[in-house]
Amino acid sequence: MGEADRDSKAAYNYPRFDEHVATGGDMADEDAFRASPWAGQRAPDFTLPRLGGGDVRLSDLWRSKPLVMEFGSFT
Amino acid sequence: MFIYTREAHPGENVPHHDSFDRKLACAKLLAEEAGISRDILVDDLDGTVHRAYGLMPNMTWVVGRGGRVAYKANWTSAANVEAFLGRFLAGQAEHPPGTLPAMYETQQAEFRYTDRKRFMQQLLRNGPRAVAEFEKAQQLWAQRAAT
Repeated sequence: MGEADRDSKAAYNYPRFDEHVATGGDMADEDAFRASPWAGQRAPDFTLPRLGGGDVRLSDLWRSKPLVMEFGSFT
Repeated sequence: MFIYTREAHPGENVPHHDSFDRKLACAKLLAEEAGISRDILVDDLDGTVHRAYGLMPNMTWVVGRGGRVAYKANWTSAANVEAFLGRFLAGQAEHPPGTLPAMYETQQAEFRYTDRKRFMQQLLRNGPRAVAEFEKAQQLWAQRAAT
């Protein structure tokens, strides 16, 4: 479990963008998007830490009004 | 709301995350530099939420009340999301007399407008390596397109 877990994190957090593309990582990302839930399907629910404190459950955010979620990093 | 993922273009200044503490520190730095006022949630080091939603580097999703996906986009265009939200909220609330709203789905090609100069500046902010690796990737994409 330990080694597989480390490999998974290492694979997800690629150190080089050019190698990510060279190994087809960008195409795998596009495939993963197409495979993710479609309109009308249930959105996966998770609890995440919030900058500024506390944990937030996604389903609490979409309980009373639509939730806009943007994913991203520095670039 | 913003979910902080892995660094799409790691470089000398902002390297790939090797611990959750580093990821959290990068998220804080991003919040300060980009002046993001929305809530920022930090995904775990393994990218659990990012994986579940499909791994693209800058997606926008809208989840409606009841937890059903209302909108999923593999890249982000604020204008496109706003236009969608206008239709989505109005569609539920307003309908011609004698009719009822019934939901349906589409999948469609849309355009966003990329500021290449700004993007290169953002890459450089991550580090010169991020710029070099992006340029290398462009060559790889060109080769791919040619085959």
